[in-house]
Amino acid sequence: MKKALLVLVVLGVLLVLGVFLALGWGIRSYNQIIPLSAKVESQWAQVQNVYQRRADLIPNLVATVSGAANFEKSTLIAVTEARASVGNVKMDPKELLDHPEKFAQFEQAQDRLSSALSRLLVVVERYPDLKANSNFLELQSQLEGTENRIAVERGRFNEAVQAYNVEVQKVPQVFLARAFGFTPKPYFQAKPEAQEAPKVNFNFDQAPAK
Amino acid sequence: MKAARSVAFWIALCFCCFPVGAKEVIPPKPEQYVHDEAGVLSSGVRDSLLHEIEDFERQTSDQIVVALYPHMESDSSVEDYTVRVAQSWHAGRTGKDNGVVMFVFVNDHKLYIQVGYGLEGPLTDALCRRIIENEIKPRFRMNDYDGGIQNGVHAIMAAIRGEYQGTGTTVDESQRQSGQGSVAPFLIFLVILVFMAALQWLSSRRTVYSSRGRIISPWWFGGFGMGNSGGFGSFGGSGGGSSFGGFSGGGGSFGGGGAGGSW
Repeated sequence: MKKALLVLVVLGVLLVLGVFLALGWGIRSYNQIIPLSAKVESQWAQVQNVYQRRADLIPNLVATVSGAANFEKSTLIAVTEARASVGNVKMDPKELLDHPEKFAQFEQAQDRLSSALSRLLVVVERYPDLKANSNFLELQSQLEGTENRIAVERGRFNEAVQAYNVEVQKVPQVFLARAFGFTPKPYFQAKPEAQEAPKVNFNFDQAPAK
Repeated sequence: MKAARSVAFWIALCFCCFPVGAKEVIPPKPEQYVHDEAGVLSSGVRDSLLHEIEDFERQTSDQIVVALYPHMESDSSVEDYTVRVAQSWHAGRTGKDNGVVMFVFVNDHKLYIQVGYGLEGPLTDALCRRIIENEIKPRFRMNDYDGGIQNGVHAIMAAIRGEYQGTGTTVDESQRQSGQGSVAPFLIFLVILVFMAALQWLSSRRTVYSSRGRIISPWWFGGFGMGNSGGFGSFGGSGGGSSFGGFSGGGGSFGGGGAGGSW
């Protein structure tokens, strides 16, 4: 009788100890995930910041370029439309980061703008007046700098996401993360075209309209 | 057996693959503001730049670093590589992010001015480009590296002066000072001293009231006193090297601002 009581007491103490340990572990893991998740969000804000910077540059660029005589209007229209579509995909960052399909939509819109802009810069090569225009040259260097910043911030965003994703997918932590709704977040992907070497097309037949 | 063989195969594969990717070298943080690994600057110009940049940091807290290398040790693009190098050196202060690093790769004929987040306002990409085109490139083309670097640094200073207030010392100086004349070791010493004195007092009280009437000298009393005095002199003084122009990063961050070019 006494023995049974002793066993019960020992078991009870062990149980309480176990609960305390599990609770301590849970709190610690939770507290490790929180800063990683916050880092992803703040890095996302940086990414949006540099994308906004690019969007802000475009009206100036378009105004300068369209001043050049006979500039192909279709290229300019493509840039303007791509910029508008970027503006449409504005969502709550939290929602965006938790839904890969919305994230992909955002990325597609930005990619469209990137390719429209690079087409514009290629077309500009045919306009010696524009290339000599110091206003345009400075806009171009600002645009290059912005693309550069976008690359940097996207890279850092991916690093932050990686650190977070590793933490929420480790084995014991994954149960806790699921319970509290910490799902893995999406990465920026390189564009499929970026994997291939760019096509160089010397099309001498299409002389610039003068 | 089969499993062991396949494990060996994978390990061998890993070893085969590794050296291919690991080609890039991120150079260590320079000891001084002007780091000329390419050996193209004259020592007179280098020294005068060191003094100027050091004074500039005292006045404005901005950190300007000029780094010249013979080659870029990376397969990546110059803007991508240099932003990572600048970030790893932490030029500029924490919170202000007011560092500028001018990279020159002499044999590649490439240069890039990396601008910290906090200086992107006064030193825009367009301005960097103008500095490179008008001040630096024409002189580099005539192999006048001294003139190009000097003009470039002066133009950068003119652009960013007034953006931030300095503290009168550079990060490097304040780190050296805290190494040499910090109060922390002295405080620890004082606490130990007080602790010892208290113990001494307590034990002496006990000896007075001990029933046998013996006066016991505590064990630590003999050991302390002189034996330790040598230990405290060796804090700090880790510096060395040149007495001016020392660069220590203040924790600044870079986000790819700036411009580059080739000549």
